[in-house]
Amino acid sequence: MRRVAVIGVGVTKFGKHDRTSAELFAEAAADALADAELPASAVQALYYGNVVGGETEKQLHTSPQAASVLGIPTVPTTRFETACASSHAAFRHAVMDVASGTSEVVLVGGAERVLNVTTEESTEYFAYASDARWEQTLGLTFPGVFALVARAHMTRHGTTEAQMAAVAVKNHKHGVLNPKAQFQKEITLEQVLKSAMVADPLKLYDCCPFTDGGAAVVVVSEEVARKARRPIWVLASAAASDWMLIGDKRDLSRVPATERAAATAYRQAGLGPGDVDVVELHDCFTIAEIVATEGLGLFELGTGGVAAEKGWTSLGGKVPVNPSGGLKAKGHPIGATGAAQIAEIVTQLRGAADRRQVDGAKVGLTHTLGGNTATVLVSLFGRD
Amino acid sequence: MTEPVITLRHFFEKAREGQLTAVRCGHCGELAVPPKEFCASCSQRRWEPVGLSGEGTIASYTVIRVAPRGHAAEVPYAIAAVQLREGVSMLGRVVDLPIERLAVGLPVRFRPLTSGGQTAIGFGPA
Repeated sequence: MRRVAVIGVGVTKFGKHDRTSAELFAEAAADALADAELPASAVQALYYGNVVGGETEKQLHTSPQAASVLGIPTVPTTRFETACASSHAAFRHAVMDVASGTSEVVLVGGAERVLNVTTEESTEYFAYASDARWEQTLGLTFPGVFALVARAHMTRHGTTEAQMAAVAVKNHKHGVLNPKAQFQKEITLEQVLKSAMVADPLKLYDCCPFTDGGAAVVVVSEEVARKARRPIWVLASAAASDWMLIGDKRDLSRVPATERAAATAYRQAGLGPGDVDVVELHDCFTIAEIVATEGLGLFELGTGGVAAEKGWTSLGGKVPVNPSGGLKAKGHPIGATGAAQIAEIVTQLRGAADRRQVDGAKVGLTHTLGGNTATVLVSLFGRD
Repeated sequence: MTEPVITLRHFFEKAREGQLTAVRCGHCGELAVPPKEFCASCSQRRWEPVGLSGEGTIASYTVIRVAPRGHAAEVPYAIAAVQLREGVSMLGRVVDLPIERLAVGLPVRFRPLTSGGQTAIGFGPA
């Protein structure tokens, strides 16, 4: 298999937009191609993430639409849908495409538009990623899924609501340093703890927002990368799954798919958790960040809450997690999130992250979780 | 073509009558909630249907305050992951139990509910 690199990244401002998801993707893709110093005509395939376009935009067939709006109507395209992990799944397949020698230059990304519908509607559409017959009939929501995880983690490990709130406070603090973030405003522990209950024990500020936005990255072969200014190498890209039904999961305080994907990624790269300098992980809810830091092996099982509370995951801490502000503050346009996380890690490893730079970062990790914890992608990146 | 042991439709028809059904692997003894084609433990396909008691304890729970469109009129409502006595778990809507009494470990018992014209899993006092 050939070595693979990322040589260009682009992300739109996250927040509310009045453009279609295809337009948002095209903006991010144009920035990514400019960053890669490649013309649009160099792109040989598009792997694309979009999740609820069928509902919020009445739009299917979104990958050729995105290619057409970008101006590369003839390249082969594929849409990936693994809920919130969609564009990270797209990335893994792009890496395999280039590594196999099939393509030299693949464009990967995604976009989502949800702020054009009401919260009740978007809550319903996101819930489509849980089982229709078993779970949607109960009125299960995504905050509900992670509330079940939170309660299990609190019961097993003594994790507190204040420890979860510390994750939100930290990610908002980081978000202030990211001009693309949806929220660039610090919040206090008290504000989080006093915010309205969404799904006990998760409160409004434990939850990431609904977000419109797009992200893109340019994935290339070593031969193409050697001519680029700042290639960042893909050291691993791994996926794992778990039971779809919440009822089938044996221990709700853990996300086994994270543990499996991480083990595969570390093995591919010949690295361990101790080698990772900077992490962008899937903090759709504060408890999700705590459980992910444990599942990725950054902290012992049951100690993710303590790590957040003690500042070990803050910029300047032992392992900075979500310097971009994470899904919590940067925002979570679900089809774009995986690509946006990769864009942040590439920026960090280039030493180009300005005020949110993790000093001397050499190895970065991205972790994206799909829906009810049934899909997880983990990738590792390194610089020359 | 092999006939499925328990289809989703069979399961919920039985559930509507008050009976939860699982399938047990005739090869390794694994108990699973249907429908499942192969046993995830041994990859065999020798399921036999078994009735469940419907008795269990709450493993985790939440109270939904912000609901999807179709359930907005029902808030607040509780959903619990319940570990059944036989070992398998199911998610269900909690009914006839005050929210403040909910706790991990609380014994509950299955009861069929109707949601949007479909049978759904519910749990009430043991």
